[in-house]
Amino acid sequence: MMFGLVAQTFVNGINIGALYGLIAVGLSLTFGVMKILNVAHGEFLMVGGYMAFWLFTLYDIDPLLGLPLIAIALFLLGAAFYKLLFSGLARFHEETKVKNTLLVAFGLFLIFPQVARWLWTADERAITPFYSGESFPILGVRCGYVPLAGLLVAVVVILGLHLLLTKTYFGKSVRATTENWKSAKLIGINVERTYLITFALGTALAGLAGVLVGMTQTVTPDMGMPWTITALIVLVLAGIGSVGGAFFAGIILGVVESVSAIFMGPYTVALGMVIFLLILMFRPQGLFGKA
Amino acid sequence: MLEVNNVDVYHGDLQALWDVSLKVEEGELVSLIGANGAGKTTTVETISGLLTPASGTVIFNGVCLDKEPTHKVVALGVCLIPEEKGIFPGMSVLENLELGAFTPESRKARNETFESVYKLFPVLEERRKQVAGTLSGGEQQMLAIGRGLMAKPKLLMCDEPSLGLAPLIMKSIFEVIEQINKSGVSILLVEQNVRAALGLAKRAYIIENGHVARHGDTKSLLDDEKVRDAYLGTGSV
Repeated sequence: MMFGLVAQTFVNGINIGALYGLIAVGLSLTFGVMKILNVAHGEFLMVGGYMAFWLFTLYDIDPLLGLPLIAIALFLLGAAFYKLLFSGLARFHEETKVKNTLLVAFGLFLIFPQVARWLWTADERAITPFYSGESFPILGVRCGYVPLAGLLVAVVVILGLHLLLTKTYFGKSVRATTENWKSAKLIGINVERTYLITFALGTALAGLAGVLVGMTQTVTPDMGMPWTITALIVLVLAGIGSVGGAFFAGIILGVVESVSAIFMGPYTVALGMVIFLLILMFRPQGLFGKA
Repeated sequence: MLEVNNVDVYHGDLQALWDVSLKVEEGELVSLIGANGAGKTTTVETISGLLTPASGTVIFNGVCLDKEPTHKVVALGVCLIPEEKGIFPGMSVLENLELGAFTPESRKARNETFESVYKLFPVLEERRKQVAGTLSGGEQQMLAIGRGLMAKPKLLMCDEPSLGLAPLIMKSIFEVIEQINKSGVSILLVEQNVRAALGLAKRAYIIENGHVARHGDTKSLLDDEKVRDAYLGTGSV
């Protein structure tokens, strides 16, 4: 009985952890490459959630089939926001850049939910395709279709991103820019363009995560912030600069939270913060980061 | 080939270069020497577009460079190997070299350039799978030069390639630079190692406090009492 319970929470933890990982990878990418801490990351997730909701309710498009469409839309939205608000700050000295972009992102973080409430009301929306809530048994553990789909999407996206960064010329130029932007310029990389595309990729990842979150929970104007915080915890846990690391750290946090919920009940939320502080105190470079 | 005309450059509010002019002709190896903080790095960074001059012009093969972004300057054939090497330490030697051929034109010729770079630095081929940050200082400098060559530059600017290297390795780096120049690439060599820099080049510019203090044939510079006094430490005591 106890084993069954732990196994079940373990599976749930992996499912939610994959989502954590997916969200953190987007944040990690923008921070790693251009030192922009996009605290509005969760707000782009919220927009993705609403888009999935519209596609589903207005046009009857399955949210999973809508994923590519939403990724493209959020890519363009992210690119527009980068061009409009962040690109002007990119030329500043690193410390000034970190501070100013943080302020801009914080502004977006305050404005987005307000605008969303204004445009779409504060009502909670749900995306409920026919298979939502359904599950199948496997080795005595129940596995929901929606969480499983989320896990698969996250794994595919992370693998794709990993291949993009390690195998393609563009991906290598992104890594080169992360390691030394000046040298990147000096070998002919258009660093400004790399920044633009990377930021847009980050928001596209947030949008994808928004769809998956929207399918398991509800879509509201305020859904972004808790996910930004979770992503930050995962980012600190993983350390900067590793796609795989951020993903595994997400899974670890998901499983720890999920399993500890058996014992700690509602206090689980605080556990993430405790991990956050412990890592910062004892291993500030993160589990998978380089010192 | 390269003409820098009366350039003034600022770092924020601080003026770093005053009225600097210099020339590199096709096929030439020119040295730019001077003390620490004199403005050598600022000069080459201005040429490669990392810094924008407040006044004056930079012209390369008839094209005005001073408003162009760095990646365009590289595509036109001007490549700077920065001070402290500037390799990508977390990436493999092979990836570093691959990225050197980033501009469309150099990417097309990538395979042949690889061969010639490996011929120049066989150690890079041996170590191609190694993470670049774990190479020795001399090997990192070879990688930096190799990466620069991958871009197929017409003008190669080397910023203090001898910095922090053992004398023997320093010597082989200078030999390689000479070899690259003989293969037809023009070179602007920035050096604090004045004796080596003057020995290698036919012409040199001496930069002091952001001004070009002196320029001309290295022979006449070496004969100049003041130059010997200030830079070679062989003047009368």
